[in-house]
Amino acid sequence: MELLDSRLKLFLWSISLSVFILTGGLYFCQIYQGDKYIRLAHSNRLRLVRFPAPRGEIFDRNGVPLAVNDTTFSIMGYPLDLNTPEKLQHLSKVLMRHGIPMTVSDLEKTIKQQRLAPYRVMKIVPNLTMTQMAELVADYEFPHELFPLSVWRRTYPAGTTAANIIGYVGEISENELKLRAEDGYTGGDLIGKSGIERSYESVLRGSPGQEALEVDARGRKIRVLDAEAAVKGEDLHLTLDMGAQKLAVELLKNWKGAIVAMNVHTGAVLALASSPVYDNNPLAWGVSAREWNAIMNDPERPMLDRAIAGVYPPASTFKAFMSIASLEENAITQSTMISCRGGLRFGSHLFKCWKHSGHGSLNVIGGLQHSCDVFFYQAGLRTGIESLIKWGRKFHLGEPTGIDLPGESGGNIAGPEWKLRRFKTAWSGGDTVNYSIGQGYMLMTPIQIARVYAAIANGGKMVTPHLNVKGYKNPEDIGINPAKLEIVKRGLEAVVSRGTGSRAGRFGVHVAGKTGTAQNSHGDDHALFAGYAPADNPQYVAVAVIEGGKHGSSVAGPLVGQMLAHLLSH
Amino acid sequence: MNSLWSSLKEDLSLTDWVMISCALIMSLWGVFCIYSAAAGSAGMGFDYAFRQTAWLIFSIIVMLMIMFVGHNKLLEGAYPLYGLMLMLLLLTLLAPKVKGAQSWLGFGGVRFQPSEFAKISLILTMSKFLSRYPPLDFKTFMAGLGVIMLPVSLVLIQPDAGSAIVYLVISFGMLLAAGTPLKYLGSLIGLGLGTVPILFFFFLKDYQKNRILVFIDPMRDPLGAGYNVIQSRIAVGSGGFSGKGFMMGTQSKLKFLPEPHTDFIFSVFSEEFGFIGGMILIFLFTLLLFRIILTGIRSKERRCKILVSGVASWLWFQMFESIGMSIGLTPVTGLPLPFLSYGGSSLLATFIALGLVASVYIEGGNSKNGF
Repeated sequence: MELLDSRLKLFLWSISLSVFILTGGLYFCQIYQGDKYIRLAHSNRLRLVRFPAPRGEIFDRNGVPLAVNDTTFSIMGYPLDLNTPEKLQHLSKVLMRHGIPMTVSDLEKTIKQQRLAPYRVMKIVPNLTMTQMAELVADYEFPHELFPLSVWRRTYPAGTTAANIIGYVGEISENELKLRAEDGYTGGDLIGKSGIERSYESVLRGSPGQEALEVDARGRKIRVLDAEAAVKGEDLHLTLDMGAQKLAVELLKNWKGAIVAMNVHTGAVLALASSPVYDNNPLAWGVSAREWNAIMNDPERPMLDRAIAGVYPPASTFKAFMSIASLEENAITQSTMISCRGGLRFGSHLFKCWKHSGHGSLNVIGGLQHSCDVFFYQAGLRTGIESLIKWGRKFHLGEPTGIDLPGESGGNIAGPEWKLRRFKTAWSGGDTVNYSIGQGYMLMTPIQIARVYAAIANGGKMVTPHLNVKGYKNPEDIGINPAKLEIVKRGLEAVVSRGTGSRAGRFGVHVAGKTGTAQNSHGDDHALFAGYAPADNPQYVAVAVIEGGKHGSSVAGPLVGQMLAHLLSH
Repeated sequence: MNSLWSSLKEDLSLTDWVMISCALIMSLWGVFCIYSAAAGSAGMGFDYAFRQTAWLIFSIIVMLMIMFVGHNKLLEGAYPLYGLMLMLLLLTLLAPKVKGAQSWLGFGGVRFQPSEFAKISLILTMSKFLSRYPPLDFKTFMAGLGVIMLPVSLVLIQPDAGSAIVYLVISFGMLLAAGTPLKYLGSLIGLGLGTVPILFFFFLKDYQKNRILVFIDPMRDPLGAGYNVIQSRIAVGSGGFSGKGFMMGTQSKLKFLPEPHTDFIFSVFSEEFGFIGGMILIFLFTLLLFRIILTGIRSKERRCKILVSGVASWLWFQMFESIGMSIGLTPVTGLPLPFLSYGGSSLLATFIALGLVASVYIEGGNSKNGF
């Protein structure tokens, strides 16, 4: 006990000693050096500057530039140095003299918007040319505390031709700042808002430079305390072929819709066009709220990338999938003959074939060649909806393809479970009939259709569509019997050589594919065509979807034919 | 019910009012500082001050309950509590990360930091263990170290190096109070100092190394960690002799100070209340710590003497570290300043510890053994 009490008394001594040290420290800091710190606090002399890093540039497969950086100048300053109305008044006067219309309230708004700590540098006037900047800074009344900083402005040489793919950059929003708090962004930074600029933000971004400086009482730099250089972001090379992309945009000029072209073996995307187009250049430089609203509220929806986010009934292009599922499930064989008299009575409803006079007796190759609806109604009923859904899942219908672009839609595989959840009613045989010709609840994006046709062309392997040349992923073999796949391929060849899709075959390459005409409750039918070439040794797949194009055979078919011809000849 | 009330009244009349008054004055002062600090950085002054007040009231109630239940009951349950704490510390490792560390647990909308309450459980367990097996020979000394190292390693994984250091300091204080031969304690310190370079080069994360290097020379990294040290020193220094006055501090209001209502609360305090305020605060802390130690000396029980030494080591270390950090005497660790820093878990744990000490004091008074 004695020992313990003596130890506790040791505590009292230790506490006294430590308190003595703290008192000494406080005395030194607050009394002895107090004046120095009062002065430092009064005009806090430490300033932080941030230099934006140049973003990585983007090129197509042949090195054509798609996103590059231009130099412009911003006038920078610190909130601390602009804290009185007189200073703002003076600055506004100088700016006005050089043709930069910024009133005191504009300046106040700019400062308030950036809400930074007082010692952190902020942007006061953005986007000046070299001449503007030089004139302004040379003005003898230009405030000493402000300084010009060269910054990078993003420019898109391809403009409207690839805007849906490249996307654009813009100043980071408050919400994005919160979401990406750990990635070291600050207000005023540029960030990819859509397209490749967004999906590869972390690669393209680079890392900004920083400087800590000490300034004098008038805010002029005395010395640099610490500096970190900016590091440029990584360049990105895309699989895109600007020649093909230009052609695709040109072909879509008078239409609303999308064209997709892809390598059937790798999933490398060569063209991905969506119409109508928009220009990404003004968006990257900053547009007014009015211009922005005009783009967002445009009823034509130019910002919607129809190639990956437009969902359409696949219509008769779905019959290739139907043939595979029915053959694989042994619901039909190559020799199964079905007779079409212009329609199928199912329950109390008559499901018509598009050819009201009927096709007579056909097997699966004939069914594809003439796009006979009755043949596939029967095939679908024999296969059953559960098996169709099972095969749909193998082809990844209803899920995004995984292309390296943001905002992709997965379409809708539908089916009994989905219908029960969505409409609280049971799936009927009639639903299966409609499903069998790609109408009704089933919805697909053009890129999904292209992926299914690529799998048919390459022997049953699902590729991952990608735009970054480094984005290749090993395809997934979904195990289709080669003999059965061969039957379907012969059917698709027959479509172009002597069936409904003959107009796709008039451009000098041997195309196999399928037409489609999707019923549209809002207006004219959508025209579709999905095909690959050369038919005997497929290299490329192309899909065209034309909103309100009426007939797949006459409108969409020739577009796909021209795309495939271009790709094979270059 | 009547007898319950009268025994509570008796407890209160025998309580060490000096110690409790010190704690209450500092806590209330803290609420004002939090109001001032958060008003500048987030415009949340009232919100934070209100929440801290609610926690304070709750903490006082819990302290009274602890006093009433008594330290003897709690010491009886020390081992199961120790097991529970280890489990909670393990659980936090499964919780989502906050600011890079997994030290929070959510419980019906209230989040708390088990690492704070583990300090109490560690103190209870160690006082029971060390009084039962005095660490006088090497074997029992090593067994005592084992009891310490379990929770220490669990918080190190979180990773929460700050709490780990506090646990080690508490344990060291308790080993010292329990009469461990000085040669053991000396070699423990030697071993500790010996592992510092190994820790530094192989185990510390870059940001932790940086904090230590910045402590040696703040100008080494004025963009990052050093910036805070410089700004904190400017805040304290510019407070001068009498301070700038309540709500008049510019360093915290203009966002020069990081985390002004938690880690750097003393910087806000010093800027506004100056050297005089600092002296009063340090005096209150000293008085509180002296009363805690004297409670131990007055007590006739071994385990009580060891218990109070743990509480004193804990509060002393966090006070020394937090005040030292804000004037650049010690490296930045992010430990809260007891009673003043914003944070419910830390406040509640502190008052539970005071409840234990008060209970020891009451028992000492009952057996009519004055100082």
